[in-house]
Amino acid sequence: MSILSRLNLRPHTFSAACRVHKNRTYSTQQHAFTDLDNAPIVQLVRRKLQERSKLQSETSEDRVSAEDVARIKKIKELEQLQHAWEEWTQVAKSLQETTPLLSDSDPAMRALAEEEHASLTQELSAMVETTFPRLLIPASSTAHMSALVELRSGVGGSESSLFLGEIMRMYLRVAGSYGWKASVLSRNETENGGIKDAILEVKGEGAYDILRWESGVHRVQRVPATEANGRVHTSTVSVMVLPTSEDSEPGKDEELFKMSDVRIEVMRARGAGGQHVNKTESAVRLVHDPTGITVSMQDERSQHQNKRRAFQVLRARLMDRKLEEEMAQRRAVRKNLVRSADRSEKVRTYNYAQDRVTDHRLGWSVMNLLSVMEGDALRDILQALEEKHGEEQLEELLTE
Amino acid sequence: MRRVASRLLHVLERVLDAESAVRELRWMQEVLAGPKPSPSTSTTLEDMVARRVRGEPLQYILGTQPFGPLTLLTRAPVLIPRTETEDWAHRLAEMRQPTRHKPLSVLDLCTGSGCIPLLLCSLWAPGSTHACGVDISEDAIKLSADNARANDIAIPEKGPLPPHEFRLRDRNTFTPLLGNIRDSAFVVASGLHPPFDIITSNPPYIPKREYDELPVSVKDFEDHRALLGDPDDTVPDGRGLTFYHTIAELLNSNKLLKCDGIVALEVGAGQARDVASIMENQGGMRHTRIWNDPWGKERVVIATN
Ligand SMILES: C[S@@+](CC[C@H](N)C(=O)[O-])C[C@H]1O[C@@H](n2cnc3c(N)ncnc32)[C@H](O)[C@@H]1O
Repeated sequence: MSILSRLNLRPHTFSAACRVHKNRTYSTQQHAFTDLDNAPIVQLVRRKLQERSKLQSETSEDRVSAEDVARIKKIKELEQLQHAWEEWTQVAKSLQETTPLLSDSDPAMRALAEEEHASLTQELSAMVETTFPRLLIPASSTAHMSALVELRSGVGGSESSLFLGEIMRMYLRVAGSYGWKASVLSRNETENGGIKDAILEVKGEGAYDILRWESGVHRVQRVPATEANGRVHTSTVSVMVLPTSEDSEPGKDEELFKMSDVRIEVMRARGAGGQHVNKTESAVRLVHDPTGITVSMQDERSQHQNKRRAFQVLRARLMDRKLEEEMAQRRAVRKNLVRSADRSEKVRTYNYAQDRVTDHRLGWSVMNLLSVMEGDALRDILQALEEKHGEEQLEELLTE
Repeated sequence: MRRVASRLLHVLERVLDAESAVRELRWMQEVLAGPKPSPSTSTTLEDMVARRVRGEPLQYILGTQPFGPLTLLTRAPVLIPRTETEDWAHRLAEMRQPTRHKPLSVLDLCTGSGCIPLLLCSLWAPGSTHACGVDISEDAIKLSADNARANDIAIPEKGPLPPHEFRLRDRNTFTPLLGNIRDSAFVVASGLHPPFDIITSNPPYIPKREYDELPVSVKDFEDHRALLGDPDDTVPDGRGLTFYHTIAELLNSNKLLKCDGIVALEVGAGQARDVASIMENQGGMRHTRIWNDPWGKERVVIATN
């Protein structure tokens, strides 16, 4: 469903409005405007701005209390919406003025009015479709963040870890196509060339927001290369996309964890250590006591690097938790109807025999599996998921 | 390719545990995929694995070792920077925040690869740190200079930078100096400008008895001068503390350290208490503290006034 249909606007209203019939002109045009003006989002804009002017009347200029500060902030936040609304009223007024001229006796005048009317209507509908939603949907707090992609093999044994390797390469490729820098932070290989689990870092503005819909269970259906009798197996890989930022600013961590809550453990005994030993023992493990989250890192050659990486993963997991909690709270407050994404839920199926990839949230299938694995079609899916999210947010706003 | 790699993995597993073998093989592959760190770096995986099986340290085979944010070159027989050193040098860096207007001078005795002063130069603000490193080994002094260059740390052309010139520099500097710290004339001979704000050292500390038991990868590949704590036969059953006595003497007789300066010394297993009292009694330092390494071993003596 497109945003348009969610706003209760039938697209054909617009084309009808542009194709003016002599007799029915007036009422059709009037109808088009009423539709726009009654659109739920326009009503929401009205409500918000009413609230705003109420706040304005309550705020005193000279005696600035803490509540006033909060009010002023709110007022400021809605300033752009106020400007947009003023523009809307202007255009609507022009439209109203043009409408009677549509039935003018002078054909030249009529033609002019029709043109004018069509362009004004278009302007209004653009505001309904893009300007208002953009101003109403809260900006993403993670818009600037990069992503960590954690992959874990699930059911299906070695077939699952082979598939994990392929999914991993799929993300590396798609990251490249977005112009992001992706690298493998850690991986645990299996005997047969598969990967048990891995963590990718995808560095780039917006990487987290775009990739976050990948979290969930990815299922593959195919005949394993090792299967002699050609039977189709089903195996799974679970994906978890976490927010991360390039360099954590000092002090920023304290919101997420206290250093004293993190135990840093080194693996293995090292005998006398120091000058006596030159074998690389760089593995570290972090344990965050309050949550029980543990992160092990051993892929880097220096302990310091492993520690940095491990802290990056810990920070990302804690940040993810925090976002989840905030979302749950918002939902509880609003008794929200929009279902939250369950990470144990199957999000996508890759069916090799049918050369098909189905995204279960979109209810879509791409009939070219390779183009998903190479990244092109994955981008289409990601974009559709992002749009779906936009629509859900809008819906959430409209049911407030 | 995969077949070759898995055969070599089994070869490595003869000398390493399975997990280390997987990781070391991957690091070798990564080095082969990138630009050659030095002319002596092997060009094939077979060759690298063969060298490893013969007991050569991984770091010499790969040609580099990360040390905090630095990538240091490693060349036999110069001592390979250790994880324990990486850990305490970071901790030391957190004790001070020099700026270009409040710069610090650093003297690293027995500098080897230059890892300690170079790390301080890279962690502390540009123009805030001016370090000198002294070593008796020409290989070490050459390597430490190469490491400064590789990590974009300036080497002053005319030797140790006099303190009145600190403010003219907007970059941190490192001066590598060939010298024997046991010859007390070295301070003047190398043109140093004491007193220093920070004196660091990871001097050779392994007692002869333990030296004889060292693993092949240490004893047969790293310089014995970098390891043996009692270099003369005059201390037949020494505890490896000769260099700490030397450093204590230097502190006492040369006014090497500023009143509010810090001395940081790495020590071997079981030496921390002895070194602390050498610093107090012989070096005239008022306070000493002991830091543990990540494995919980007493590893560093910090001395202040
Ligand atoms: C244990 S290594 C330390 C190297 C480096 N600081 C590190 O932490 O990796 C000791 C160094 O002391 C040097 N050395 C030994 N005797 C010395 C002396 N008498 N004067 C100056 N340097 C000496 C050795 O050449 C070796 O590079």
